[in-house]
Amino acid sequence: MTAPLLEIDRLSIAFTTRRGDIPAVADFSLSVATGEAVGLVGESGCGKSTVALGVMRDLGRTGRITGGTIRFRGRDLGTLSEPELRRIRGNDIAMVYQEPMASLNPALRIGRQLMEVPRLHRGASRAEARDLAREMVADVGLPDPDRILNAYPHQLSGGQQQRIVIAMALMSRPALLILDEPTTALDVTVEAAIVDLVKGLGRKYGTALLFISHNLGLVLEACDRICVMYSGEAVEQGPVRHVFDRMRHPYTQALFRSIPLPGADKTTRPLETIPGSFLMPQDRPRGCNFGPRCTHFKAGLCDAAAIAMRPVPGADDHQARCLRFEEIDWQSRPPAPEATAPGEVGAPVLTVSGLRKYYEVSSGGLFGRRRRKLVRANETLSFEARQSETLAIVGESGCGKSTLAKVLLGLETATAGQVLLDDREVQETPIQKRGPRAVADLQMVFQNPFDTLNPSKRVGGQILRALEVFGVGATRRARRERMFELLDLVRLPRDFADRMPRQLSGGQKQRVGIARAFAGGARIVVADEPVSALDVSVQAAVADLLMDIQRTRRTTLIFISHDLSIVRYLADRVMVMYLGHVVEIGSTAQVFAPPYHPYTEALLSAVPIPDTRVEKTRIVLEGDVPSAIDPPPGCPFQTRCHWKDRVPNGLCARELPPMVELGSGHRILCHLSAEALGEMEPVFRLAAE
Amino acid sequence: MEPLSWTGALGPWLVPTLEAALIALALAALAHPLALLAGYRMGPGPEASRSGPGRAARLTGGLLRLSLWALAAVIVAFLIGGLLVQPDAKGILGRIATRLWPVWLSLGASFALVALFRRRLGLVGHLLGNPAGAVGLALVMFWVFAALFADQIAPFDPVTDVIAGMKNKPPGTPLPPPGDAAYGYYLLGGDALARDVFSRAVAGARVVLAIAPAATVFAFMVGITLGLPAGYLGGRLDILLSFLANLVLAFPVILLFFLLVTPEIVAMGVPTYMAGALFLFPLIFLTILWNSRFRTRPPLRAALIGATLGLGGWLYAGLAWNADPLGIVSMPAGVLIVFVSVVFVNAPSVFRIVRGLTLDIRTRDYVAAAQTRGEGPWYIMLWEILPNARGPLLVDFCLRIGYTTILLGTLGFFGLGLAPESPDWGTSINAGRGLLQFVPFPPLVPAVAIMSLVLGLNLLADGLREESLKE
Repeated sequence: MTAPLLEIDRLSIAFTTRRGDIPAVADFSLSVATGEAVGLVGESGCGKSTVALGVMRDLGRTGRITGGTIRFRGRDLGTLSEPELRRIRGNDIAMVYQEPMASLNPALRIGRQLMEVPRLHRGASRAEARDLAREMVADVGLPDPDRILNAYPHQLSGGQQQRIVIAMALMSRPALLILDEPTTALDVTVEAAIVDLVKGLGRKYGTALLFISHNLGLVLEACDRICVMYSGEAVEQGPVRHVFDRMRHPYTQALFRSIPLPGADKTTRPLETIPGSFLMPQDRPRGCNFGPRCTHFKAGLCDAAAIAMRPVPGADDHQARCLRFEEIDWQSRPPAPEATAPGEVGAPVLTVSGLRKYYEVSSGGLFGRRRRKLVRANETLSFEARQSETLAIVGESGCGKSTLAKVLLGLETATAGQVLLDDREVQETPIQKRGPRAVADLQMVFQNPFDTLNPSKRVGGQILRALEVFGVGATRRARRERMFELLDLVRLPRDFADRMPRQLSGGQKQRVGIARAFAGGARIVVADEPVSALDVSVQAAVADLLMDIQRTRRTTLIFISHDLSIVRYLADRVMVMYLGHVVEIGSTAQVFAPPYHPYTEALLSAVPIPDTRVEKTRIVLEGDVPSAIDPPPGCPFQTRCHWKDRVPNGLCARELPPMVELGSGHRILCHLSAEALGEMEPVFRLAAE
Repeated sequence: MEPLSWTGALGPWLVPTLEAALIALALAALAHPLALLAGYRMGPGPEASRSGPGRAARLTGGLLRLSLWALAAVIVAFLIGGLLVQPDAKGILGRIATRLWPVWLSLGASFALVALFRRRLGLVGHLLGNPAGAVGLALVMFWVFAALFADQIAPFDPVTDVIAGMKNKPPGTPLPPPGDAAYGYYLLGGDALARDVFSRAVAGARVVLAIAPAATVFAFMVGITLGLPAGYLGGRLDILLSFLANLVLAFPVILLFFLLVTPEIVAMGVPTYMAGALFLFPLIFLTILWNSRFRTRPPLRAALIGATLGLGGWLYAGLAWNADPLGIVSMPAGVLIVFVSVVFVNAPSVFRIVRGLTLDIRTRDYVAAAQTRGEGPWYIMLWEILPNARGPLLVDFCLRIGYTTILLGTLGFFGLGLAPESPDWGTSINAGRGLLQFVPFPPLVPAVAIMSLVLGLNLLADGLREESLKE
């Protein structure tokens, strides 16, 4: 092999803060060959983005490289002057960031922004640049390039924006493209399309990719090699499949065991959480950074001196930063905790029938005629949730799941239909009129841990307020005692009561949010993506906590999520929503096995699974979710459906399909005949080992 | 007696040092940008880009810093030296420094306290680590203490001590015999009515610092009480309130003030009615604050609301309607007009800031969490949203006290509101402007006072903004 394109050698980066230097990256080495895709994986705070910024030499005023070199095409980037660096950035190395809107100038048309790249770097003429831009827009799979070039960024959807950002990065034909969590802000089906695109374009232009992600499944799909980072260090690197099948660092293994793979089950084989918590860079121990949390830790060996990467036999270029990987039995699992009996599902506590929620938006300004438009957020939803059951609601953004949550909680009132809480109709009762008991019964856990707690009130005070409002406890002291019990329930130390939210980690905040929701002894908890913003190792712990509380309190959990892996792991029943409709509902086993609703099929195939044994059928959905203001006639999914031609007479485009019962509570909203449904194959299967 | 010189016995040493420092500073300030430019142009080489500016630029930069420090050291030496030398060796500066000793003592004590407990003080503690914030805090505290100890500092009464023969005298002029007055000199000269300029400036701080912060607090109460529901509830209410705010903001301020002091308007009672409306807001604000927070604990709620309405109602009756049954609380008519106009002009800007912040914060999950708990809108506005808007509001508060100070100066300058003999800075500037060319000190001293206070408030606001962003 020739010299690698990018060679990072023993790189160390530190940030200067009030309390002295904080080493963000230490002794990090990685090389990327021409045309190769390398995945950089790790939890938040591990330094993966810092590495990328270090390569771009864009560390801001406080960051600086304290050791090591970064060579690009054999030249040390550290010795280049500012103008030379500028020539390399954007021209030879391009970067795509997480938030597409942040990379696009909202005031300029797309065409202008794309044309700027060749005009600046190569001095191309206007016409030439425009042709290049049009070609590139077509290359990133956007229809009607001319319309897109004349559009402003806000007129495009998130997925389209990210495609434009990628197009812009590729305009100058860079040799290296750095993607920093390029799909985290996007929906699963859009994410799948973008990953396909990046892979294809990398191959087409021979661009090397440095793909930064926390999602192991995506890295498996997109990359040739992987580098796992923990606490500022690379702990393991090597060819993707090799690392996935024969990982040789305890952290890598712990990471894999904390994500729900097919086969994990909440009662028989629960997820394993990594003990302890992530240490701040300044508290790193001697020797192995992962030592304090490692089950294979051996005092005197692992904490003696700094540990170097050691080659793992069996594949070239597979290395791990562990002294004991020869001795560890990698197949053994800690004994599974004794299988807890699954909670017995009881009677329905929440029955929704024919629920509709329309919003009215008026458009037209001072002089135009005012037109009223209806947003059909929810269309005739019918389902029930039983005691001690987990009902998952799955769907992409804009499918109406959040509106449904609002109606259930009484923050909005229904347009039509019925919501029965026990035996009381609540669809038209706003929350202020529900009475403290009904309010306490139906509570919510929110998505964003950084937003769920009021940043200017102490943790204990926030739980106490909930207790006060729900009328729990007669005296202040009784309420305070109850607050401590709630902290015990979510396994937080009692002295957290006096902390401010900013002193808590994301997972801890989410636990406080859960404690607050259960303050009034909630019987139904709506959890809106409660773990999707957390790191994978923390996700497992929080999900298991929810399950534990559910088992002991027989709570009904309505679990809203777009992450089908976690849904499969912990839901009893699943409801799939698309554009305000329930398109499929049934038990988890039924929904995750054929016959599927065509949308469910696409959704399942889009989920990246970090397991080399799983073979998947790829179904990439074209286009975007239609607007709820102007939904397509007939079946809501007909504009993107792969099975549409199996239904005769264009029925899909004319008539809303009926809800078809497929047996024991499994229903789908589809015109497909029984034979067609019978032909459906499983989207993924475990290959024989 | 001889007139005082500016520097007294310290002059022969310190004045040349001061000149040297100033010349060095000027040279460095000229040379440094040139050296930077030259270094940038010549430095595409690898070393230059890595080591930052070239050697010449580093040299001039060092000189710049050094001369700045020297300048600061000389100024401090003037103050400390002036405090320490023999009374008859003191110049004007030394005597002023000596008169200000309560201020120095309190400043030192308060900064020592803050430094001692800076870990526990949060934002204020961090402020000391921020140069702009620390300087701003020092300037503001200087004037606050000067206002507090005005009686001890000012050698003469700012209004009644008119000493014959001292009219329009330059700084350091001794009093004419017989020198039976409390103090022998007019340190910063005498004004057109033969009053002591120094004493008037110090006493003016008391007037300004009594009105400006209080008026700003009232403006904030009004702005917050109206801005929160406009942002949170939105709809027609928002349209109406925003329109009214724009209306007030669009009205020429000076014209408004002239209208308010026109005798016919005063006779109609317009300022009083306005005060009656505006002063009601703090009462409303506090009442809904307690009501929403303690609705689950009725006895405490009743006690707090009762206390607020009782105490507040008493103050309200006295301040707004001059109808205090006990006859203790009242506000002079002129001050009332100034107060009302300042609140009336500032409240709409505060309203818009609060409304904007509310629009942003109401989309947070903790607001939704409060809604799903069944909290009422006022609880959410006052206890969930308002505390999290405090950062920008605190910064705006500091800036706004500064604007209000300037506004007070403007009002005083036009002779509106406050009595013509009032020692406040705006009135003093107005009184002295006629002879500015020949007797500069009577208007110059209060002008510098306004400038330094507002500068301090702006620096303080900058420091607060930077530090609150870091958290």
